Amino acid sequence: MAFIPPPPEAGPVVSAALTDTSVKVNSSFRGARIVLYGAIYDPRARPSDVVVIVRGPEQPLRIARKTKAAGVVWVNSRPVVFQGAPGFFMTASSRPLDQIAGFGALRRLGAGIDHLAINAPEEQQEETRYGIRDMVVSRLGTDYLDWRRGVVRLKQNAGLYAADPQGVKFVDQGLFRAEIDLPSGAPTGAYTAEIVLFQDGQPVSRRMRGLTVEKVGLERELYLLAHRRPWLYGLASVMIALAAGWAASAVFRRN
Amino acid sequence: MLDLYLPIAEVSVSAPLLVVLGAVVGFISGLFGIGGGFLMTPVLVFLGIPPAVAVASEANHVAASSTSGVISYTRRRAVDFKMGAVLAAGGAVGAIVGVEIFRWLLLLGQADLVVSLSYLVFLGVIGGLMLVESVQAIVRRRSGQTTGPRRDRRPVWLYGLPLKVRFPRSRLYISVIPPIALGIFVGVLSAIMGVGGGFILVPAMVYILRMPAAVVVGTSLFQIIITTSLASLLQAGRNQTVDIVLATLLLIGGVIGAQFGARASARFRAEELRALLAIIVLAVGINMGIGLFLTPEEPFVQISGAG
Repeated sequence: MAFIPPPPEAGPVVSAALTDTSVKVNSSFRGARIVLYGAIYDPRARPSDVVVIVRGPEQPLRIARKTKAAGVVWVNSRPVVFQGAPGFFMTASSRPLDQIAGFGALRRLGAGIDHLAINAPEEQQEETRYGIRDMVVSRLGTDYLDWRRGVVRLKQNAGLYAADPQGVKFVDQGLFRAEIDLPSGAPTGAYTAEIVLFQDGQPVSRRMRGLTVEKVGLERELYLLAHRRPWLYGLASVMIALAAGWAASAVFRRN
Repeated sequence: MLDLYLPIAEVSVSAPLLVVLGAVVGFISGLFGIGGGFLMTPVLVFLGIPPAVAVASEANHVAASSTSGVISYTRRRAVDFKMGAVLAAGGAVGAIVGVEIFRWLLLLGQADLVVSLSYLVFLGVIGGLMLVESVQAIVRRRSGQTTGPRRDRRPVWLYGLPLKVRFPRSRLYISVIPPIALGIFVGVLSAIMGVGGGFILVPAMVYILRMPAAVVVGTSLFQIIITTSLASLLQAGRNQTVDIVLATLLLIGGVIGAQFGARASARFRAEELRALLAIIVLAVGINMGIGLFLTPEEPFVQISGAG
């Protein structure tokens, strides 16, 4: 890929590439490390900060809140569906985010867990599915923040949402490297990595890079079989179980 | 390394750990004539496997270890196939109903609560009753009392009901209604709790149907094979939640463990075995249920069934 230098007046530009644009999930998959290299072209060489935001495929998420019933038993409240919470969300930056930019700039970019946009509908909306109502919380509702924090905490505990204020390291003048760890429970699908260059608290240049996490080999074959021919798959697994039980019994009888 | 990524569960787990777990639960399964699902399902969930996948794959493991165990019992002529088939017929109906109830509970978001409550109530009550009865039996025997004639005072309703059928292996001539009703009840519970239902069937066969102790374990295993095979097939076909890699790892250990369990069972007295089983059942029930009463560290829970 040939690099075309930006026109002198264009101001600072960030450029970046992933060392690997596809993560293969096979039977030995135990998580992966995404490595990203990038460069800053800035004729005036002003102090720069880099923020890398990696988002995984969006997944609707149903959560409930435990509430005390009758003063003794903890039961689940009515479930709430959050549409479009990313399945993975990681921010890596060269410094803590609040030192790089102000609230507004971070909020507009959705940089950092605090500023992550979870696409709850703008207005209160109720869906009925199989006769059971799932309440979808409004972005404007008073308890929205509590629920949103709940979503984030659950994802953080699963290692799927994180922020690393030292995740971007400058390896040379204008050259940086970022590492993002994918846990083994990371969802498969299309990921995006957004690389943002900050100067004086303002985003001055952005780059977007794509990444796929996909099952390969036996993992993929089994997954596809389970979804495309579910009854055949089920029959096969039952047959394996019965045959194994019979085989063990036969082997032990001979001994 | 020995960690394996499971294609359906979508998590990475230690393969040797799963084989060992399968073997331990398989041993218990062969020893007591229970499936062992009530032990394994909570452990799998604890290891980070999604509950729906744990329940479905565990059914497959239970089918395997029960097959392994039942063949040993068949050779000892300790399986009442006729009674097993009647129980399984009820169990199949119950499982289908139970799967629907479970889907409805999932949508309501109350599946967790019902599962925990079911564990607490059924395991607690059955474990408690069985412990009291078996300890009394042990004390009676140790104190030198003759066990007395087996209590053959069968409940009147067992004889009063119509549709009587002979079960020669169990030396019973009873209506098919109680075993079918028992099968349905166990089928519903097994779908909701993700278990084979042996821990309910074994005591129910002893105390309600009054079957001879010698055929109870083998017959229970036989009916568990049928219901768990069906459950596994239904789960794979409808929900795509059976993880064949997970199930295979578990059943490698399970079928071997079940062999040792079935052999070991001949060396223990029936009441001692029941006391041991009662303690295990009680412990699991209390462990599962206690969470309902403790203030949760995390007030929010993710529940499946979105999208």
